[in-house]
Amino acid sequence: MNVDLHGSIGVAGVGQSGPSAADPRSIPEMVLDAVERALGDAVVRWVDIDAVVTASVDLFDGLTASNVAVTEVIGAVMKPETRIAADGLCAAIHAACQLRAGACRTVLVVAHGKASMAPRAAIEAWAVDPIFLQPLGVNFSTIAGLEARLLCDRDPEAVERWGHVVARRRADAAPHGVAAAVAPEDVLAAPVLASPLTQAMEAPPADAAYAVVLRADGDGLPVRWVAAGHDLEAHAPGDRPLSSRPGLRRAFDRACRSAALAPDAPFGLLEPSCRYPHEEDLLRQVLGAACKSAAISPGGGLYAGDAPCAAGLGRLVDAARRLRDEPRLGRALVHGAWGPAGQGQAVAILEAAP
Amino acid sequence: MRRVAIIGTGQTRHARCRDDASQPELVREAAAAALADAELRPADIDAVLLSNMELFEGRAFPELWAGEGAFACGKPCMKVATGGTSGTSACIAAFHQVASGLFDTALVVGFEKHSEGHTQTGMALTDPFWDRAVASGALGNFALSISEYMTERGVTERQAALVAVKARTNAARNPHAHLKSPEVTVEEVLASRMLAHPVRLFDMCPQSDGACAMVVASEECARRACSRPAWVKATATRHEQPYLGDIDRRLCAMRTLRDASRAVYAAAGIIDPLAELDVAEIYEPVTYAELAWYEALGFCEDGGAGRLIEDGVTSMDGALPVNPSGGVLSTNPVGASGVIRVAEAALQIHGRGGARQVDGARLALATGYGVYAWADAVVLGAEP
Repeated sequence: MNVDLHGSIGVAGVGQSGPSAADPRSIPEMVLDAVERALGDAVVRWVDIDAVVTASVDLFDGLTASNVAVTEVIGAVMKPETRIAADGLCAAIHAACQLRAGACRTVLVVAHGKASMAPRAAIEAWAVDPIFLQPLGVNFSTIAGLEARLLCDRDPEAVERWGHVVARRRADAAPHGVAAAVAPEDVLAAPVLASPLTQAMEAPPADAAYAVVLRADGDGLPVRWVAAGHDLEAHAPGDRPLSSRPGLRRAFDRACRSAALAPDAPFGLLEPSCRYPHEEDLLRQVLGAACKSAAISPGGGLYAGDAPCAAGLGRLVDAARRLRDEPRLGRALVHGAWGPAGQGQAVAILEAAP
Repeated sequence: MRRVAIIGTGQTRHARCRDDASQPELVREAAAAALADAELRPADIDAVLLSNMELFEGRAFPELWAGEGAFACGKPCMKVATGGTSGTSACIAAFHQVASGLFDTALVVGFEKHSEGHTQTGMALTDPFWDRAVASGALGNFALSISEYMTERGVTERQAALVAVKARTNAARNPHAHLKSPEVTVEEVLASRMLAHPVRLFDMCPQSDGACAMVVASEECARRACSRPAWVKATATRHEQPYLGDIDRRLCAMRTLRDASRAVYAAAGIIDPLAELDVAEIYEPVTYAELAWYEALGFCEDGGAGRLIEDGVTSMDGALPVNPSGGVLSTNPVGASGVIRVAEAALQIHGRGGARQVDGARLALATGYGVYAWADAVVLGAEP
């Protein structure tokens, strides 16, 4: 296909399955549920989908080329499918590139993660440098603790503030999430995960699948995909500043440049992938004035359930729904992250139709 | 669609065990070679795409560790992983990302270090209910499909052996290749150990350590930086049922490759591929698959592949040289194998194939193959 692309990319439909603490269904069943909801929401049929972009990680699924499990339920038999092994928002970014390239007109983006059947801490340990870090038992949580410790050293009140942030997110997430609300003092009194982070400060792992239909001729749709950026940081924690997120800064700057937006242009909504509360501080550092009046994770964000590597697409689903329901929010920033201390960063800018 | 081209390629030395280099070092070896070939610096690269199958080495998110080898730090980077098609799909993803206008240049690096893992175990993680016990790895399921193919099309063991001889002889002219056997004979292939009837040891691809990289550029950048860009004329991807039992006459039909190739031929204006293509680099994990692919790709009618190889049509001095590099049968670092196919096709257009150069190559086909029957097809040309 060689599409003559005019106008903007639109979010035509979204769907999700979960989050659930332990979904009894298989991965294909979860994904099919999300995809059917997205197609229904977009009012498109399987034949209207020109291409599919998926995101999954083999070691979480215990399956080589793990998209093989979902080929049929995403309708990719005899169709082009690209599978990105990173956060689900990267899959959406690649899908937007396919649309901008004119390679297709309608793309289905799908991401799934099933934390209940994966030893997350072990897999995350296998993702760090096998020569220097793995022998030390380092995983993503311990590196997050190092980051949080650096921020605490600069701001002695940070931990208490994080207790309140987590309590707020958990309360917002509780009605539809996998974990109950927790009072700020209980967040702080929970067992230590990686000092100064407590176990209650970590977003609860979950099973979920998300699906999004992006369309090239999106001018008439209520939510438009405006721009995106992504970035890969250095790998070794010792090679980068852990009290800031330069990778997120670069991804954000790329998205703003691509959208011809000033970096301080205001956002009405932020849907970040923050697994720990200190990551919100790091995000605010980057966004500065742009997030001053933004609603942040009104549905509780990842505290509703953190499906490994699907989370960023989940943020996109939540942001698109909220912009449709509350167009006055205007512009939303969606964020995805993967790797230790957010080594991989991705952002997308959405706008409600005027 | 915005025009894009390949303006540089680079490969490591491929071998059974590259214990002289870590995964990031292999990636760096290929990436640096591709940049040197394109006469660009790392700072000139806007984005990076990696391809690798993480379960072969048992590393989660290998790109996070190896990405630095591809100069990816501080750049947009993502990994594509679709089994054997990972490399070709990563190339196609890079073509689309540059064609989108988001980037002017992208570096693609595929890598695999089979010696650090257990590939058969990685490939055994297929459907746990039906496939794992009977069709795990490449060998068992190919043996089933090849028997069916031989029965239906009359292909012989000797014709398959000719493919092995062609591949290993061609590989002897490729300085990067893993298996080089310039003197191998059909008799030696037929006398090699039986692995799973009718597949013998010399019929199968090896497991290699290695990496391959290429620089993809927008039209403006390509015209500025390269005297003879390899223009991307068409691409196609087709995926297939994930359960082997659901695929009708897999090698005989290979409907994914048939459909993908017809799509790229149509987009590139190719009517008679055997006559019009100058060279092809096809992803043939086993000798019999190359014969089946000849038919699926329209190089001959169904049942005509045996005659094609016997007549030398696809040898280096034939009408359509197939796999001057020695192909997957000679070099197979899975995450890189698809990138190698596209890079070798580009190398032919660049006119820098050295001893494996096909004189006057101006139109080239590269294909990818993965899982049970997934297929990618790419047509490159000397003209946009």
